[in-house]
Amino acid sequence: MSIIKFTNVSKNYNDTPAIQNFSMKIDAGERIVILGPSGCGKTTVLRLLAGFISPDSGEIIIDNQVVAADGKIIKEPENRNLGMVFQDLALWPHLSVKGNLEFGLKAKNIPKNKREEYIPEMLKLMQMEKFIDSKPAELSGGQQQRVALARALILHPKILLMDEPLSSLDQDLNVQLRKEILKLQNKIGFALLYVTHDRDEAFDIGSRIIVMKDGKIEETGPSVMLLNLKKSVKV
Amino acid sequence: MSKKVFLIFVVICFVVIGILPILFMLAKSVNIDGQFSLFFYKNLMNSGREWILIGNSFTLSLLTALLTTTVGLPLGILFAKTDLPFRKLFALLFTIPLLVPPYITAISWFDLLGRDGLISKILSPAVAEITSKWLFGLPGCVLVLCSTFLPIVILLTITYLKTVNPRLEEAGKLVSGWSGVLKGITIPLIMPGVLLASMLVFLLTLGEIGVPTFLRYDVFPVESFTQFSAFYNFGAATAAAVPLVIITFIILVIERIFLREKTYQLRPAVGGKKSSKIALGDYRKWFFITVTLLCFCSIILPLLVLCLHSLSADAYKEAISRAGHSLFRSILYATIGASALTVLGFFIGYLIHAKIFRFWRAVDSLTIFLFALSGTVIGIGLINLWNRPATNFIYATPVIIILGYLAQYTALTSRITVSTLVQIPPSMEEAAQVSGAKWLRRIFLITAPMAKRGLVAGWLVGYIFCLRDMGVTMLVYPPGHDTFPVRIFTLMANGSTELISALCVIMILTTLLPLGIGGILFKLRGFLK
Repeated sequence: MSIIKFTNVSKNYNDTPAIQNFSMKIDAGERIVILGPSGCGKTTVLRLLAGFISPDSGEIIIDNQVVAADGKIIKEPENRNLGMVFQDLALWPHLSVKGNLEFGLKAKNIPKNKREEYIPEMLKLMQMEKFIDSKPAELSGGQQQRVALARALILHPKILLMDEPLSSLDQDLNVQLRKEILKLQNKIGFALLYVTHDRDEAFDIGSRIIVMKDGKIEETGPSVMLLNLKKSVKV
Repeated sequence: MSKKVFLIFVVICFVVIGILPILFMLAKSVNIDGQFSLFFYKNLMNSGREWILIGNSFTLSLLTALLTTTVGLPLGILFAKTDLPFRKLFALLFTIPLLVPPYITAISWFDLLGRDGLISKILSPAVAEITSKWLFGLPGCVLVLCSTFLPIVILLTITYLKTVNPRLEEAGKLVSGWSGVLKGITIPLIMPGVLLASMLVFLLTLGEIGVPTFLRYDVFPVESFTQFSAFYNFGAATAAAVPLVIITFIILVIERIFLREKTYQLRPAVGGKKSSKIALGDYRKWFFITVTLLCFCSIILPLLVLCLHSLSADAYKEAISRAGHSLFRSILYATIGASALTVLGFFIGYLIHAKIFRFWRAVDSLTIFLFALSGTVIGIGLINLWNRPATNFIYATPVIIILGYLAQYTALTSRITVSTLVQIPPSMEEAAQVSGAKWLRRIFLITAPMAKRGLVAGWLVGYIFCLRDMGVTMLVYPPGHDTFPVRIFTLMANGSTELISALCVIMILTTLLPLGIGGILFKLRGFLK
């Protein structure tokens, strides 16, 4: 059962095509990685799905609902029930860890007693409960990653989008966090759409890989199948 | 409420506050008793005097713009890019004249160079006679307006220098010394910003009435004011205001065509890429002496003389008794005006920054247009629009003063907002959006708190400009609601020079006090690096 469906989606920036006739399906609980070099259109796919930009043509469906079609955003990002981890993490510096997590809960009118329950729960899951009152600037890179992930998951989204979230980390931390992401995904069961230009990261995380080039899908398939082609996949 | 609907409402508010009065004024200037007529324009054009006034205005504006650019550009470079001692203090001192009504600077020069000024006591009355003649006329006006508007060139030069990618200069440094790099790379890169500053100085001088009136140099904007206040000939006043609207409009169109993208790049340097500093070496002390002398002669000395001249307890007592209420009103109106400007400027700045509508550039241009337009013209426009029984609650109350502030100064707070928002990654608001927050919630809980430095700075700038305003307020203030600068200006006709000096000192302190408090607060909170 598809939870995300792109049908012939195209998007141009000032007459330069970012993606062309892009079609894909993602099933519930699936882990998809979009792999490709800078400028191939992978972040555009993510931003279209989040609803930050509208497609010039084509249709995007989330959870059986058309959210964008033929140049129009039908469902605003705040109503799509997605979680997202940004490349720069986008942690709000003026809010504490708790404030960052609480923001979305308040926006969805979750009562205070529930919020007080969910936040420590989520932080415990991320092993970040000690840092509940810390400001993002007081945390290390890895801790910030965990807060960003916690914030993205606090509303229990069915889909989690991750835009090269580990690109700024050193190799050891990068590998460690990949494992944690996989563990979480197994535990919670959200569909994961992960964008990266790193092949190792892609094959570690993805159950299915979409290789993009010049705004088009060049190759797609289960990671185990593509693994043999790993060396030939140039990004 | 959706983002677009709210922002359209903000744009409509701005158009009603700032643009509608000007359009209304234009329409009324060609309408006599319901009939289309160019009577007022014909009268205006047939009078030889008007052409002389326009010529005078252009001469004054051109000389002021040229001189401020010639002096302001090197000073800006010295303050931003060199190891000149006390450069921050110098930049602050040179900014003072911009913060007070220009005619106060004229009064301080009068206290120094006038017939009974300090120079007469120190040197001789004969010398004072010569300097007085020189002060009252074109040279004096250029001197006063140059010291008033010099900070615009200095500050914009500093701002644009911060936008220059240091790597570009470093690449130049591999093959040339600093003089070559400045001449061949840095100055050409910031030239659009410098030209923008010159253009602003030109337009602000063109619309100035306080200094030319005090120093008795006939210029065109005074004509409009005189027609209105002395003869109450509204048609003639309106017609006299229209050429200023047209000139301002044409100059801004030229700016938009030739400097369009370049001047809009008011972007701070990317974090971490600090601009490299020029070591002045052996020349350091000579530059220091030159800048100190310039600062002392053009800023400190006139202000010192003004303070010395006011040193009498009686003068201050009289000042408070005759203008205390006006001072209180000024502070109140400036506080309300600055708060309204901060809110309006924030949303206008937001829509410009995020390019929400296709016409975002037009909105930006209109704010600049109104800022550069003479306050007299805006005042006449506001009176034209709101002086009717149905809108007496605006026209006959201080609301019209606040509307005047909003019309003239929104450009300041919107530009500050743009340069603040540019430093906040778009992902911050996007993250709030995917968290399920509606737009206003995102604005109030994420964007505005993250832009608080810019908002506070915008409020302070708005407060200062509202407090010093005379162009708009002079025309629109309802009876019994005059502001402090207006009160000083009217008391100048019959008050003693000691009283006027005391009033000017109070005005300067009232302006600088919140700036000082704001500066301390910023510093305390670790905002200033």
